[in-house]
Amino acid sequence: MGNNKEIRIVLSTLRYKSAPELSSAIQVPLVQNVKELVEYDRSANVSLAQVFDDERQKSTVFRPTGKFSILFNNAYTGKTNYEPFENNLYYVDVKELAKQQCLSDPNSVWWKGFPQYNEFDFIRNDYNVPGYTIPPNNHLDFITKSASTYNWNHFLSYPYNNNYNKNMVCTNSDGVFTWKSGDGIPFNITNIIDSGNNIVSFKCPIKHGLNEGEYVKLSFSYLGDSYFEVYSLGDGTIGSDEYVFNIFNYGFTGNVFYNGQKGTFKRVIDINNPIDTTSEYYVKELKLLTNPEDAVLIKSGFEQNVFGKTKKYESSGFTPNKIERVSVKEGSQSYTLTFNKDIDLKPLRDNQKRPVTELFFNVIWKGYFGWTLNDGYKLKQGYEFNLPLVNNKPDSWWDKTNVKSSTNFSIGSYVKSSNNVGYRFNYVNSLKKDDVIDGDLCEWNNFDQTERTISVLYHKFVYNNNVFDIKENNTQNYNNMLGYYYQPNYKMTVRVFSDYIEDGGVNTGNLPDYSYYSTYSDSFIWRDIYSYGFIDQDGRGVNYPFLNGKHYPYRNYVFRIIPEGTNFISDNLIEDPTIDNCE
Amino acid sequence: MNKYRFNIPENDGYINIPLEIKWDFQGRDESIELYEEDVIKQIIGGPRDYEITRFSHDFHTNNTKTDITYEFNFFDNNPGTGSDILVATSTDWSSTYLNEGFTSSQIYYYENPFTKSFFKLDFYDSNDSTNQTLFFTIIIPTQQGGTETASISPLIPDVEIKRPVFKLDFVGDKEGFFIYWVRDKNTIDISTFYMSAKFFNARVGGFMRMMTTPQSNLPNKFLFDDRKYFYYKVVLDYDKYTYSIYDTTDVRVGTTSSIKWYEYVNQP
Repeated sequence: MGNNKEIRIVLSTLRYKSAPELSSAIQVPLVQNVKELVEYDRSANVSLAQVFDDERQKSTVFRPTGKFSILFNNAYTGKTNYEPFENNLYYVDVKELAKQQCLSDPNSVWWKGFPQYNEFDFIRNDYNVPGYTIPPNNHLDFITKSASTYNWNHFLSYPYNNNYNKNMVCTNSDGVFTWKSGDGIPFNITNIIDSGNNIVSFKCPIKHGLNEGEYVKLSFSYLGDSYFEVYSLGDGTIGSDEYVFNIFNYGFTGNVFYNGQKGTFKRVIDINNPIDTTSEYYVKELKLLTNPEDAVLIKSGFEQNVFGKTKKYESSGFTPNKIERVSVKEGSQSYTLTFNKDIDLKPLRDNQKRPVTELFFNVIWKGYFGWTLNDGYKLKQGYEFNLPLVNNKPDSWWDKTNVKSSTNFSIGSYVKSSNNVGYRFNYVNSLKKDDVIDGDLCEWNNFDQTERTISVLYHKFVYNNNVFDIKENNTQNYNNMLGYYYQPNYKMTVRVFSDYIEDGGVNTGNLPDYSYYSTYSDSFIWRDIYSYGFIDQDGRGVNYPFLNGKHYPYRNYVFRIIPEGTNFISDNLIEDPTIDNCE
Repeated sequence: MNKYRFNIPENDGYINIPLEIKWDFQGRDESIELYEEDVIKQIIGGPRDYEITRFSHDFHTNNTKTDITYEFNFFDNNPGTGSDILVATSTDWSSTYLNEGFTSSQIYYYENPFTKSFFKLDFYDSNDSTNQTLFFTIIIPTQQGGTETASISPLIPDVEIKRPVFKLDFVGDKEGFFIYWVRDKNTIDISTFYMSAKFFNARVGGFMRMMTTPQSNLPNKFLFDDRKYFYYKVVLDYDKYTYSIYDTTDVRVGTTSSIKWYEYVNQP
């Protein structure tokens, strides 16, 4: 470093004529771009609270814990002649069956009842049942370490990707809707007159998420225009605001908005800025962060749900093997789920390429004992709108032959024989870390930087009719039987985005790398992430325990195993308005 | 300040002023702040991970079983009918609470002297009793365990009463099956422990140590190397989160054979 500027010194007497002789002095300009070091004794106040908060804000490692209360209604009776299963039912019609057993060949009698609760519980405890889990002639040798993984596998995952091409089908009283996840939300058109105004009413099978004054971009156009303003919501019936939106019929001609016309729409918040404000629709994909053996599932103390345990004494005279026992139909134990593995969120980005703010507990059916999944039947998945029965039968979406509803989980099998008859038992192969599974159907809008869950994902499994036949439960079609639904993904919020939106120009300092650049406003927009422990006036924020340098998020969940067609929404989501003389 | 002397030259004169600057303070304050943080961290310490995790008994060799069996043998020292430790043989130890002075009724009816008694497994970092630290303890309650047939009255049929043989596993009796220990080896790097056992007898209000072999098997019943006969070795596997137990000859125990403990009897 140096000063390369040349300095020329002129003798004072030579400056001008009769110049006096003077002493010379030069000013050397020293321009520098450096700050001076302030040297003094540094002192720092050490505040325990401050140190704790600094460590807390800096930490990105999480140890999530969830408590699951299982709600299960053992709904389907069936019959079986496979001896290990037959000897372990919660029997019904025992007198009649015992009588048949006396009067005929005992091996020809198919005993009837419910599979016991151990077939659905998170942790099996039937490790020492002769003829079933221990010899002789047992179904399989019980491995005690697998007690918590025979029926269900538990994982932790994070939102990883968006799938815009997932096939969707919904059947209800308005017909069959078929679309892809990225198309938007489906609707069925009805032309009505409301207070003397001609209205085109759009009835959706799922919540549309629109507000009055917003626009919709339809999947078809009228005179080249596919954007229409939402004039009003609902059709006058309770709750219809969320499912019905209307546009004003200014005198549409032709055959575009006809009754029964189906299509899809996308929400547009600002018609002047459709690029930024048009919503995207997708299925959120989750990536597993753990392996099955990483899960530590234990009984949650003595906690039981309010419904208690349903059990009964099976007298030796009323069992096929003449052995008395107590059988359990439904249980009530709660379980706590943790993982041996810490989750560091720092290197992870969510499905919107933002820092991960939510994790998911995943509960996946395995069914290793083989009561479920007949040959060729995979674990099925669908959304809330697929759950209601159609004509008192499962929606065709769940048909064995419909590959669109099949999960991508592989199926394993093994063969056992009883009374010289071979039986094949199927189960879901365990997933592993980095596998990707489907999540909820969601909407995302770049303008307001929020994600909305449109419909929650459900899995469905059915009994393997080759070993346990439930046909008497109004199931006529072995390819589409009644089964059980469950929700596989349970959200755990670990950080929260602000309720306000920030924006800044390209020269704004400290722009988050996840901010969205709007070409319309030539600026970046984003939502801040609240610091740990901060709760805003609306109650948004997280304040989980922080110790050992790690965050300990915790949440309680209710895990419902739902028998098909019971205790759930009806297929007619919105009641038709009553038309009488008053109207 | 350097001094410069100028002689009047005939022509224009030039001087080069060397300005050597050895400092570059840009970012130095920030560095000092980081250093300050580091110093504070050294003084008051950073967060350490004391979280524990669960270690289960490892699979038996070439097997899918994971159970572990502890068998506690008491010396029969009942007054009048018991044995003399000085002439005792290994058959004088057996796995029954009756040897310890409990009555069949006390055991069968879960009376307080019985239910308040317990076995205590202590885990040390060394088997040298003069230089060891107790890190954690496992309690095995008497309500667990196998059974034996006993008579509580000549007027009623024989009954099954508890005996001190504990087959622990993921299901069934599992109190004491899992070892809970620090999961981060940077916090405490110990994966080998030495396990000793005691029985706390609520009937008499005292406790007794347990050995890994009957005293009768030793050349001298009261003078022996306690490192050999009071401890089993427990090795944790941090990859699988399992543990295995070895005897003093480094043979794995607790799989096909139970882990045997024998009451130590003091010299009369």
